[in-house]
Amino acid sequence: MEKERTGLRSLFAGYCRHPTAWDELFDSSGGPHPAYRLLVDGLDQLGVGEFQKRRVSADLVFVNQGVTFSVYADRRGVEKIFPFDLIPRPVAAAEWGRLEVGLQQRIHALNLFLHDVYHDQRIIKEGIVPAELVLGSKGFRKEMAGFDPPGGQYIHVVGTDLVRDAAGKFLVLEDNARTPSGVSYVLENRVVMKKVFPQLFQHCRVRRVEDYPQRLRDALGSVAPAGAQDLPCVVLLSPGPYNSAYFEHSFLARHMGIELVLGPDLFVHDDRVYLKTTQGPQRVDVIYRRLDDDFLDPEAFRPDSLLGVPGLFRAYRAGNVTLANAVGTGVADDKAIYPFVEDMIRFYRSEEPILSKVPTYIGARPQDCAFVLDHLHELVVKAVNESGGYGMLMGHTATREQRAEFHEKVRDNPRNYIAQPVVTLSTCPTWTDEGTAPRHVDLRPYIVSGKSTWVLPGGLTRTALVKGSLVVNSSQGGGSKDTWVMENGK
Amino acid sequence: MISRVAEHCFWMSRYLERAENTARILEVNQTHLLDFDVPLDQQWRPLLIISGVYDMPGPPEAEAVQQYMTWDPANRSSIAVSVGAARENARIIREVISAEMWERLNYYHLWMQEPAARALYDGSRSEFYNQIRRINQLIHGIADGTMAHGEAWEFFQMGKYLERASQTARILDVKYHILLPTPEQIGTPVDHAHWVAILTSCSGYEAFHKKMRSPLDTGGAVADFLILDWQFPRSVCYCLAQCWKAANAISRRPSGESGSVVESQLADLASWLNRMDIAEIIRRGLHETLTVVVNRIHEIGALIHTTYFDVSLQAAPAPTKRAAAMYQAQS
Repeated sequence: MEKERTGLRSLFAGYCRHPTAWDELFDSSGGPHPAYRLLVDGLDQLGVGEFQKRRVSADLVFVNQGVTFSVYADRRGVEKIFPFDLIPRPVAAAEWGRLEVGLQQRIHALNLFLHDVYHDQRIIKEGIVPAELVLGSKGFRKEMAGFDPPGGQYIHVVGTDLVRDAAGKFLVLEDNARTPSGVSYVLENRVVMKKVFPQLFQHCRVRRVEDYPQRLRDALGSVAPAGAQDLPCVVLLSPGPYNSAYFEHSFLARHMGIELVLGPDLFVHDDRVYLKTTQGPQRVDVIYRRLDDDFLDPEAFRPDSLLGVPGLFRAYRAGNVTLANAVGTGVADDKAIYPFVEDMIRFYRSEEPILSKVPTYIGARPQDCAFVLDHLHELVVKAVNESGGYGMLMGHTATREQRAEFHEKVRDNPRNYIAQPVVTLSTCPTWTDEGTAPRHVDLRPYIVSGKSTWVLPGGLTRTALVKGSLVVNSSQGGGSKDTWVMENGK
Repeated sequence: MISRVAEHCFWMSRYLERAENTARILEVNQTHLLDFDVPLDQQWRPLLIISGVYDMPGPPEAEAVQQYMTWDPANRSSIAVSVGAARENARIIREVISAEMWERLNYYHLWMQEPAARALYDGSRSEFYNQIRRINQLIHGIADGTMAHGEAWEFFQMGKYLERASQTARILDVKYHILLPTPEQIGTPVDHAHWVAILTSCSGYEAFHKKMRSPLDTGGAVADFLILDWQFPRSVCYCLAQCWKAANAISRRPSGESGSVVESQLADLASWLNRMDIAEIIRRGLHETLTVVVNRIHEIGALIHTTYFDVSLQAAPAPTKRAAAMYQAQS
């Protein structure tokens, strides 16, 4: 009897908003945001019992598909199913439209920045960005000086992380302009959601994401180098099955209709890149590479890399192959450079930035550094060279020892750190063992640039699964939700 | 297709075929020996020789040889190693093979590591070897029914038939090592029984009798059947022809026209055999002929490697149309 009653209970009965954070579904009155009433009511009326059933069938789809992610630090080791929560995170179309324009503006400026720092360096000469932050950036590649990548595009794929502050304003947390991952989960999540909530999906008129592989394929083809074959040969270069994102490499290659290759499958001859095939060597024009710069070419970069292709950078500079993303984009998503992106928009486009960033203190600036050292307990401190949530201090929850450790690190190498006030990320109702409860989320939209720029509607909503945790990264055990850009939201 | 992927397809198939054939010869040797008095030192050693195994530690006694050829990880040709290698190749090309193929092959690989497999081996040796044979048969059956018969599938066929051709030649050659028939022994029941054993190990007993109908010279007839028959699926010539067909499909030449050096070498070997009849083969020496076959198949294996897998720029790069032909979604 009790179980029955529980099963019939509406999904959001007893849902308690987070005391301070913005909630993606419910406003301060406790009712749904007007734009999402359709979605909230639809889910609510499903009831807990029915929702549970759909959760089970969704989990089965993931297991069968093998939608996995390796968590390096996890003792259990290799592959885990990427945890997924069925309650979608909505964004109204009008709000999305603003984000889209803001993201395009930002990405365009980053591309111009990259061209500038590898050519005339005007932004440095005019004193907008300090030279040592650019030249000292781990991602800056002096080998790229003077080189014009085909199509003038440096960043073909970028994932820009957005968070919402307590007032509900979207802020840029960081750009990921080297090898951003996660879009395959967006696509797989969507498959599951459509299976599990077909009617709700239709009623909410959610924008399609299935176009992503084709859009990317077209973008890559559009930046083939001069002298490419009539039908440019595009391949995806992966480090292989032992890489944590291999599932995505395989997924994208299949859906884009291109070959997935490993370093040893390619070779360079006469500064041209070839793929070893059973029909003989095949010329390659565009490489979507999911390898760090460091490992791309043992001739040019790390000599011990077995993942790359000897001579690839030579072929690249000779203009015979396009690499997506270009070599050296790491300087643009360097956390030390991040605070200057708004200035880049003003400098290169003479426009005011549409999207704001999270307030940021730059370790390299003595005043900022002093502030950071005094306020560690209130700040999130990040090492500029790390990603995936590693090398981070959550000042407000850290132990005294952890703070002391970071105090020393920052003091010894201030240039390597930035700090931001703790942003109470917005929350979204998520299914937990105790029923629906708020969990912090962020949003990673993906932007594809070839001859033109396209923003994937929605993107990956990453969810911190542990109550109160603000760390959403998959490599730290976070999960995801489907993001619904709703035409029916106002 | 990518050379590396083709290479995994080819070797997955070869290893599976190798496992099946090893199980065949072990099984037949065991049952056959139960019936006849063969000198102790000749009972099992020939099997090691035809498998190209020269470094087994200890005397070649029945249990030791079977253990070594079935389970020993130190023996690169053991059944366990072959099944494991097949599964490892399959794992790398999971996107290319069907999900069912992977699932079954993985299942049998894991089964071999469980006590149940060992118990079957100890309790019912014959049934164990039957089970091993069924693994290969099942995987190829699933492949036939669930894989697109494109390049990947052709490489499976190439691996299977190349290995099988070599194995059939080796199985036949065991006669040379077990007994060099003295003129007195030819035609005796012992001699006859050995030929039947060889036929049975190739699953050819019924097919042979349908075709040959109690010939006077059993040995000659069996050798004829297993080398030259153009219909029996384990005969050397049949396997060479199928191997050629696969290579021909890969080079996309009109049927009948040899494109690659692999095709011409396969065609050469087959026509060399076909030019002779069994009487001539026996006159030259059966063992000598089979040795040529095994060696030339080995060379063809090396040619396959340099033609399809170990590709580098020897001549001018491939023209544009070939690049367009590469555009098939990975499936």
